[in-house]
Amino acid sequence: MIGVQGFRALLVIVLLTLFYQPALSQNIPVLFDPPLSPRMANYNIDVRLEADTRKLFGKQVLIWHNQSSDVITELQFHLYLNAFRNSESTFMKESGGQLRGHYIEKGGWGFSEVKKIAVVYDKDLLHRLRDVHPSEAPELLAQAVEVTEQMQFIQPDDSNVHDQTVFRIPLPRPLPPGEFIALHIDFLAQLPTPPFARTGAKEEYFMIGQWFPKVGVYIDGKWNTHQFHANSEFFADFGVYNVWITVPEKNIVGATGVEVSVTKNGDGTATHFYHAEDVHDFAWTTSPEFVEFKGQTHDTKIRVLMQPDHAQQGRRHVEAAILSIEYFQHFYGDYPFPNLTVVDPRRGAMGSAGMEYPTLITAGTVYGMPERLRLPELVIIHEFGHNYWYHLLASNEFEESWLDEGINTFSEIEIMNDLYGPAGDMIDLLGVKLNTQQFHRARYISGYDRDPTIRRAWEYYSTGSYATNSYSKPGLILITLKNYLGEQAMGEIMRTYFVRWRFKHPKSQDFFDIVNEVAGQDMSWFIEPAFYSNAHIDYTIAASSTREVKSPRGFDFMMNSDEDTTAGGDADSKSSTEAEFESTVTVRRLGDFKMPVEIEVVFANGDTIREHWDGQELWKKYRYRKPARLVYAAVDPDNKILLDINFTNNSKTVKKQRLGVNKLSARLLFWMQFLMEQPEVLNFYSLFRDVL
Amino acid sequence: MILASLKSAIQKTFANKRLILIFYLTNLILGLIVILPLRAIIDEFVGYRLMGAKLADRLDMDFLFELLLHKDSFLDVMRGLILFVPAVYWLFLLFLSGGALAIFAHNEKYSSPIFWGNCGRFFGRFIRLAIWSLPLLAVFFALPLLAKALQRLFFGSDPYQYITYWGRWLQLGLGFVSFLLFGMVLDYARIHTVLTDERNMRTSLWRGFRFAFENFKRTFGFAALLFVIGGSILAIYNPVANLLAAPAVVIVALLFFTQQFYMILRMGLRLTLYAGQIHLYKTGTSN
Repeated sequence: MIGVQGFRALLVIVLLTLFYQPALSQNIPVLFDPPLSPRMANYNIDVRLEADTRKLFGKQVLIWHNQSSDVITELQFHLYLNAFRNSESTFMKESGGQLRGHYIEKGGWGFSEVKKIAVVYDKDLLHRLRDVHPSEAPELLAQAVEVTEQMQFIQPDDSNVHDQTVFRIPLPRPLPPGEFIALHIDFLAQLPTPPFARTGAKEEYFMIGQWFPKVGVYIDGKWNTHQFHANSEFFADFGVYNVWITVPEKNIVGATGVEVSVTKNGDGTATHFYHAEDVHDFAWTTSPEFVEFKGQTHDTKIRVLMQPDHAQQGRRHVEAAILSIEYFQHFYGDYPFPNLTVVDPRRGAMGSAGMEYPTLITAGTVYGMPERLRLPELVIIHEFGHNYWYHLLASNEFEESWLDEGINTFSEIEIMNDLYGPAGDMIDLLGVKLNTQQFHRARYISGYDRDPTIRRAWEYYSTGSYATNSYSKPGLILITLKNYLGEQAMGEIMRTYFVRWRFKHPKSQDFFDIVNEVAGQDMSWFIEPAFYSNAHIDYTIAASSTREVKSPRGFDFMMNSDEDTTAGGDADSKSSTEAEFESTVTVRRLGDFKMPVEIEVVFANGDTIREHWDGQELWKKYRYRKPARLVYAAVDPDNKILLDINFTNNSKTVKKQRLGVNKLSARLLFWMQFLMEQPEVLNFYSLFRDVL
Repeated sequence: MILASLKSAIQKTFANKRLILIFYLTNLILGLIVILPLRAIIDEFVGYRLMGAKLADRLDMDFLFELLLHKDSFLDVMRGLILFVPAVYWLFLLFLSGGALAIFAHNEKYSSPIFWGNCGRFFGRFIRLAIWSLPLLAVFFALPLLAKALQRLFFGSDPYQYITYWGRWLQLGLGFVSFLLFGMVLDYARIHTVLTDERNMRTSLWRGFRFAFENFKRTFGFAALLFVIGGSILAIYNPVANLLAAPAVVIVALLFFTQQFYMILRMGLRLTLYAGQIHLYKTGTSN
């Protein structure tokens, strides 16, 4: 028997079937069948941009699938834009009001407000709602329960009651495992200006990320919904996104996913419909000024949206995007999406530069960027890399930022070196040659001991320490690991990690399990100090000596003295023809991170010995008796251990190395004389101000 | 007129090679005051390391970062000396210029009593002159801001980056012009002081300013010519120095001598500028 409630639901379903479902679902392409991901959080969003006020008027239908084994009694959401609501938010307090040197200008605050939330449980209805335009949903949601009043801001990470970046909604009735729930949400958002912490507006340019109420991740039996912090990025579940974006008609739009249609509304606006599958975020950009460049590699179409004053670098950006895709596909596995959009931020909007979203990344350049200053290439390779390390493998950036930034830094170093190395792969300009690896090593050395590599992103000692431990140090750890295990084993680790964990939420231990598995040994001796401590490596040749062996003096065991016999004389004459040298080399471990290491000992006659030391003791002394003098000894002679904070002390020569010191001193002297005599050359600094 | 002044200046400079030597040695000694402590630190850091040998080939960025991050003393010394020594150098130049200008002004041959006597005689006045010229310095150094103001006037507060980029080149050009103009005024003021034994430095400054701008074509033309010659010497020096990169004792020695030869040429150019400006001033004021 069908009750009143059931009858009403049936009526809605019939209406849906008759009027809405066919029209829309026919227009929505299917990108992946079967789905690539669990599709837990699915969004239909209708958003209209009011450019003058930087406001977004949004309606969204979220269909959330409880794939846990728990009964869910509440939902938690992010309202990221509230980080920019005022100076009291956790983000603004932690950042001191700036991020990467960018500030929100006076009156440029942003916010996000939920106007209405209604909940629907009906399973059949939910299936149809997936294809329904959100603006048509209210009429269909006759049985929806409004829960706006129950909305409650929470601060799971700190006690800052002024922070409104996370809220919870108690559900009217619990959601059993395997069931779906739909939420219809009306929201209003205002973007900060200029773009700040990845998102915002500058004049006609909009880069819009973290802009809609976004459900948290229910994992390990609880909600994992962190507040927006200065030193943190994001964490989200996979799903399908249908997004209708209404902007001024003259505007060009770029967004996550594929553009399905553009409809002119007759009021000076146009609606761009985007569809994305198996992604966990959606970002978009719009500007009437974009200059489009296109490219393709394999099945992936590349679209680069350049600012008009950077248009001469359009092909450079396309090339970098093509190379990024090809390298990642070659090294790790398939990039499944049909397209990639690269956005070039506007002048004065660099707060939105260098950011990654699924199938959409932002780069960053300036007019006149020299070809050999490969910062745009570096940024594109890095940000595209996040389409693997974070988008396909959706780790928790709040809690284990190294899993995306660190692994991505490893990829970035490898690719930059392969493409533009071996010397000066990042900067090769005016005689300065700097490699990406050297840049990261410098950052590591400057702050290696402040934190363990893995900790929650907002709990690092400082922003600098967050950067060191999330990007540079783990990147160097992985290269060190590669040098220890070999290129083939490391390749297998990375590919196994990619294949096993794509479209899932990997954790550090998942990566370490694969390391142990591929290495065929328990690597915790390396993993523990490298990732869970601030231990550092510093090997040095503390002392070395070499001296000619003289014949023994004094009494031998027969109580004969060398002074009484002619034997001593004979020995001396022998040593003059076949001289023997005793050499000693003392290696010390100055750091508390123990790692096996090689020692190279070279003699004047060309003899070279390679020793292997397990590095367990604090020092080890090697003695040699050879027919030649020692020339030098070097610990880790090939610089395989990039975590060593001091390469310079890795060797010791018997003779003083005057030539190099003198050459460098001569150069320094000349520059000093030159600058004293011609200080006007300092004027040239002004040319590089933008780039620096 | 400009070429005649140049010719006369070169002759006078060559006739007083010892002046070049004095100016050059001043530059070298003050450079060494900065570099020798730094050299000692570098030597201690890499003297017995393979990195030291590597440095003979090229500057390794790993070494540079390690030097800066592990040897605090390097930066401490740099910080301590890098501003102080150039200031002292500038005072020395002010001191030495009295002697050099006096020799050129009175068509004398170098002799120690004349040179050092005039160095001491005019030093106090030149210091006062330098102090009085500070407002002028501020005015000239504000000149590059003109480029920014023009940019704002014509293109508003949010111009495309190619506007700001070329605006920066314009600023750079104006920056060099400011240097030239300020140098010119100060030089002619000193020349006036030496030639007339003027004791009032405000008068000297005014006379220098007036002369420089009343004869602008000649004064600026001459200064710009020497600036271009200096730039050309640098343009020749650079590739030559880059060629001298091999890690061999002879090559490093050759590099050192090339560098020092360049500096000697720079000193010659400075003295040629003084001598030429005196020639211009004398002919300009006698008409």
